[in-house]
Amino acid sequence: MSDILDKTEEIVKKAKGLGADEVIAKTTFGKYRQVRFSNNQVDITVAWNDYVTDVALAWKKRVVATQIHDFTDVDASIKNLMGLAKVSQENPTFGGFAKGKFKYAKSKPDKKLEDLESPTELVLEAIGAAEKEAGSKVDSGGILLTRFEDVYLASSEGPMGFDSRSAIEFSIRAFSEREASGHGVECSSTLKGFEPARAGAKAGEIAKLAKSPKVGDEGVYDVIFDPLIFGSMLGVWGPMASAFYIMIQMSVFVDKLGKKVGPEIVTLKDNPSAYSVSNRVFDDEGVPTRETVIIDHGVLKTYLHNASTAKMFKAETTGNAGLVSPNAWNIEMETGDYGKEELFKETKRGLYLTNTWYTRFQNYAKGDFSTIPRDGIFLIEKGEIKQSLKDIRVSDNALTMLGNIAAISKERQHVHWWGEADPPSLSPYVLIKNVHITKSK
Amino acid sequence: MEEEIVDYALEYAQSKKIEYAEVRAQSQVQDRLTLRNGILEAYVSSVDSGFCVRIIADGGIGFASTNKWSKEEAKEIVDLAFKYAKAANRKEKLVFAEEKGVKTKWTVDQKKKIENISPEDRISTFADVDKALASCGVKIAATMSQCSIDLTTEYFVNSEGSRISSFVPKIGAFIFITVTEQGKTEQAYEQFGYSGGWEAFRDWNIPERMIHSAKVLKDVITKAKAVKPGDMDLICGSEVTGIAAHESCGHPMEADRILGREMSQAGRSFIYKGSQYWLGTRIGSDAITVVDDPTVEHSYGYYPYDDEGVKARRRFLYKNGIINEFLHNRESAAKLGTRSNGSSRSVNYDREAIVRMANTFVLPGDFAEEELIEDVKHGIYMKSFTEWNIDDKRFNQRYVGKEAYLIENGELNGPVARPVIETTTLKFWTAVDAVSKEIEFDAATCGKGDPSQGIPVYTGGPCLRLGKVYVK
Repeated sequence: MSDILDKTEEIVKKAKGLGADEVIAKTTFGKYRQVRFSNNQVDITVAWNDYVTDVALAWKKRVVATQIHDFTDVDASIKNLMGLAKVSQENPTFGGFAKGKFKYAKSKPDKKLEDLESPTELVLEAIGAAEKEAGSKVDSGGILLTRFEDVYLASSEGPMGFDSRSAIEFSIRAFSEREASGHGVECSSTLKGFEPARAGAKAGEIAKLAKSPKVGDEGVYDVIFDPLIFGSMLGVWGPMASAFYIMIQMSVFVDKLGKKVGPEIVTLKDNPSAYSVSNRVFDDEGVPTRETVIIDHGVLKTYLHNASTAKMFKAETTGNAGLVSPNAWNIEMETGDYGKEELFKETKRGLYLTNTWYTRFQNYAKGDFSTIPRDGIFLIEKGEIKQSLKDIRVSDNALTMLGNIAAISKERQHVHWWGEADPPSLSPYVLIKNVHITKSK
Repeated sequence: MEEEIVDYALEYAQSKKIEYAEVRAQSQVQDRLTLRNGILEAYVSSVDSGFCVRIIADGGIGFASTNKWSKEEAKEIVDLAFKYAKAANRKEKLVFAEEKGVKTKWTVDQKKKIENISPEDRISTFADVDKALASCGVKIAATMSQCSIDLTTEYFVNSEGSRISSFVPKIGAFIFITVTEQGKTEQAYEQFGYSGGWEAFRDWNIPERMIHSAKVLKDVITKAKAVKPGDMDLICGSEVTGIAAHESCGHPMEADRILGREMSQAGRSFIYKGSQYWLGTRIGSDAITVVDDPTVEHSYGYYPYDDEGVKARRRFLYKNGIINEFLHNRESAAKLGTRSNGSSRSVNYDREAIVRMANTFVLPGDFAEEELIEDVKHGIYMKSFTEWNIDDKRFNQRYVGKEAYLIENGELNGPVARPVIETTTLKFWTAVDAVSKEIEFDAATCGKGDPSQGIPVYTGGPCLRLGKVYVK
């Protein structure tokens, strides 16, 4: 371990020796394993071994970066990078990389994940659980992904550290009929507590309920969001808090600091802590990651920053540095007072949505967008599911929907799915009032 | 790239009890420039190089990749791929459709070699876009520009005797702008892409295109009227034609999707065996033929051989309104009893090649663009789009107009704000009653796969006239 950290630090020293003002090097040894399945059978099992050192340096406020894949090739790569810096353009807003010596929380990787030999068995277990719920004719597909990364970081500005990150993610979609499906996910940083069968059972349960869907009607509905689809909404609001997205106006939170953006019951945080599949003890500048309250009881408290954007906004870094811009790591929504069943009881006539995809904006600053629910869409009448629906679209506004959150469940689920419910989140069941629904004509 | 290690990996794979093996090596010189409000945030320049092994054994498929170039590592990933192939334990054994081995080399020509363009010139070309926008008479509140340069060298070998070497230079650009007028904002982006050299920038004329976009957004804020919803004629500009061709023809015609292999992510298709839609059934009017063609020279999705070494050709997806031919790789073709049509693509050495589009477009018709408009009594000309999406069976889609005009008595009568068509694939393509002669392409990045593989494509076509569709 120390050998790799030494080599990573050596890159920093070499770049400094060539005249760089500030340098960060981050070496990642990644092992990734994935099982993809469909029609209840494994289609392919994939293994990636990835070795890379990301190097970012600044010279007279010119910021350049590269990747080095082989420690024997460091001299030429750094020389080239310095050459690039010298002909690059000044970024007058660059405020420098994070400075200081930090102590980091201890990494808690699950070594069992690194050595997981038979991921296929976990997949078959989940397929079996879906069949148990929805019958033997259910048709399931999805992925199981394990991720194990050793990360070594050295910075000329002080930070230096090692982090070991593990994660396992499972996603299953089960079809009980051609147009009746359910989706379940299971995400964890350790094998302990990871139950793919739970995701299979949920997918099967929804798929069974979703049978014989009818085309839904346009209108304005009170909508209960399942944790998975609400994870997609958190994946909209969370990244919009990045200072970079604020500066390019791809956010509904521009000029909203200190202002009310949601009701009192809404508190949103970013927190890549140990349970999360995006767990990390430091960011890409070596700043310790932490819990950051983005929205506190409806009031927007902060944007997500790296050291440079923090300086521009006269704030402090929030430990969200990525290579170029600040990123949201893991969005958490604070729990509410409602049980899941109570949310249904609250809803006289509304919808229960379980998943969505293809969220697209016509204007990020205003927040106008649409997204297409899938995998179990249900009409609720007098607190009960009355009918399975299909072929509808949520066509609304991201800021208005945040403001219309009316109730939040006590229970939450850690969700992450493909590029749709991304970044990962800790997501509850949520009731949002007056959601606009459209359909094809 | 060390071809000796690639050959060794194949040889070692063939020493095992396998049905098929391939090794695909790729080296990408990648430059990424990101400008925020005209300021260069960062210039990222790197080389990513590695190789993957894909093996069929006992009817299962295993895939493994590495970026460490050594024989020991090659051996390790072959062992992993072999182990995973056998562990699949499939009831229905996988095979690939038959292909003969191919030995060839191919490259894409550059008139102005990217390698000879200095970083300073690359940066200033982009900075000029912001300078032009700053003096165009429209209040630009924010911009974000990204330029991508990829010089990709590939070496592909398989157990059937294929040996294919290639070199492809690609340039892409993405510009996002926010216009503020009268206290209101509108936003738009433009994407550009090309396989070839730096000459692309002259043809793109990005400053002029972005100034046009900015003025369109200003008009949307200051002049555009709302649409009175109802049934009316709709003229789709080539950009709207292209996105519809991509989303509601190209994607549902991907055979892996039809067979369910993407069911958990990108979804399935409204086309499947036993449904009312299959090969030979009607999905649109006689006037429309949609093709996917990787052989369009210098296109963003150009390739003469796919990532399974299969020779590429034009595919007629919807032919005169009839569902005609799916997009296939060797796995899907074998399952449906046909041959691959060269649709297997991967973004890098560490991703499996899957069924993808290349350049999907509607073939031109007989009308001049003006002729399409002059026959419309009351309608909308949706020249370009902003928000769009489609469901995962590729049937219910929505396109929101960016640059759009009201048509009255055969003439354009001022801009309209954000007209929306939300309709089905069947209704959209059936409503086409006239197609213009001129064809244009737009660059796009198509998303599919898990992990996601954003792949360069063209979308495009002529202008289409749709008779009596609901616009709101």
